[in-house]
Amino acid sequence: MSKDIAAPQPSRLSLFWHKWRFHLNVLLLLIPLGFMPKYFADEALMRGDSGLGEREVGEVRIGPWSLRLAELRNSAPMLEGPAGYMKGFNAALCEACIDQVKATYLRIGKPRSLRAAGVIFFGTPYRMGASLPVPEKTRADAELWITMEGWDGAMHQASIPLSQASPATIAWLNKQGGKP
Amino acid sequence: MSKKSRSKIWFLVHSWLALPIWFFVLIVCVTGTLAVISQEIVWLANPPMRASQPSDDAPLLSYQQVIEAINKAEPQTVVQSISRPDESHFALDVEVSYPDGRSVVIYVNPYSGVIQGIAPQFNFRAFTRALHGWWLVPFTNGYSWGWYLVSFLGLPLLASLVTGLVVYKRFWKGFFRPTLRIRHGARIFWGDFHRLSGIWSIWFIAVISVTGTWFLIQALLFDNQISISTEKIIPAMSREAVPLSADGSPPPSIDLDRAVEIATQKISGLEASFVSLPGNAYSHLDVGGRGWYPLMFQTATINPYNGEIAASRLISDRSALEFVTESMRPLHTGDFGGLWIKLIWAFFGLLLSMMVLSGLLIWTRRTALATANAFKRSNKKQRDTAAQPATNHELSEVEL
Repeated sequence: MSKDIAAPQPSRLSLFWHKWRFHLNVLLLLIPLGFMPKYFADEALMRGDSGLGEREVGEVRIGPWSLRLAELRNSAPMLEGPAGYMKGFNAALCEACIDQVKATYLRIGKPRSLRAAGVIFFGTPYRMGASLPVPEKTRADAELWITMEGWDGAMHQASIPLSQASPATIAWLNKQGGKP
Repeated sequence: MSKKSRSKIWFLVHSWLALPIWFFVLIVCVTGTLAVISQEIVWLANPPMRASQPSDDAPLLSYQQVIEAINKAEPQTVVQSISRPDESHFALDVEVSYPDGRSVVIYVNPYSGVIQGIAPQFNFRAFTRALHGWWLVPFTNGYSWGWYLVSFLGLPLLASLVTGLVVYKRFWKGFFRPTLRIRHGARIFWGDFHRLSGIWSIWFIAVISVTGTWFLIQALLFDNQISISTEKIIPAMSREAVPLSADGSPPPSIDLDRAVEIATQKISGLEASFVSLPGNAYSHLDVGGRGWYPLMFQTATINPYNGEIAASRLISDRSALEFVTESMRPLHTGDFGGLWIKLIWAFFGLLLSMMVLSGLLIWTRRTALATANAFKRSNKKQRDTAAQPATNHELSEVEL
């Protein structure tokens, strides 16, 4: 190594360090600045200013009714602690069915009965959300089942391929394919 | 170890606690101060949020009257919750859902039921809270790391308070003989200011640092799936509990005033400050408000079809531990007793921000100069003698 480093004279770098070392923490401000665009995008998403969700799946017919489905986020399911991986979907009921539909459910795989229809949507007919558990071993060809229940007790079901509902989830399932 | 060198060490610890992160601490203090009075700032900037009483004896509308007024003005709009802010000069905050899919807060006049406007797209209150509380770092799985970053500051803050009182000898004398020398130069002024505001802020710094540390503990508990809650999870209504209707239209549900009446019967002394409508056909209606202990809310969870109380959460339902931990947040934010408490919190928040700045100024005026001088001298001397260690100067002025 060069002899300069061993010399007692403080180098430019060390002078600079001594002058500015306690002000370097100003750089911590870059963290909120960096996250600011995401913060405002999320705010707009939650307010519904940027649509039903990050990615619209489209209109799904369920018997006499229909709903508009969207992925809350166009991304893989998110780990939520002990609850496991969850995927958020939003939906809006068709105008004509607002007063008739009592509840809407979401499930991966066909429900055996109304009691096992899956997770229920919360919110208003204009914008409701459900958080769907996605087991890590879900098959890539799985189907997303939507169950709707009427105030008179009527029940209607329909399904769409999970690949259509959420390509990001399929990509995530494929990526970790080897896992049991 | 001599008494003097011991206090030197305490002094060094005191200055090193905040010095390397002074700007971060300063911004957290400033945003915290703003967050305390954010609602008031929005009130000043945004006229639709204000509610003036038309005449001295004008009565407040009941919750049912409010929802009816909204339904009449905008039949398509779905109301999700109505909340009455603590201070009477605020309009009601009503969460609504519009047919175009937007979920927003609208401001409704509590005397006339008139919709005065939509909450601005930029939510200043939420923004300052997010910046102060978690440095805008998003929550993904559990608490955000920004939350940890900010709440960790509770520990150095507490240590600053303790070491500050140790190095400030006989600090209690400062209460009787307050000193703030203005004409003796900036160094003396900021030193006096730092000590004077320090001793008057002892209680505040203690409250903020302890509650801030609680936020750290809270995140650690949550992220490790440790729960201290005695609150029961309220199951959704059973399929049988929701009446079927032959014509396929929604069955009638109780009106909001009836719900408030039921809640008030169950919780004596309840001042219902919010009503939150069911999230779907199988969920309940919540009515809540403060009781005799202003730091906590009490709620009743009511079946909207038959008016039965499914669950309630009273102050007496809290365990002793929860009584303490649930008081932490309102103590931190100063949001439990109206405008005056908020103003006191904001004042001391500002003072705390100034203490970060004055601490830095003291350091730069004394130690930084001493360090820079030491470097200059060592540059001069280095031809014949070895450089003098700069740290001697940093230690030279322990006696403030």
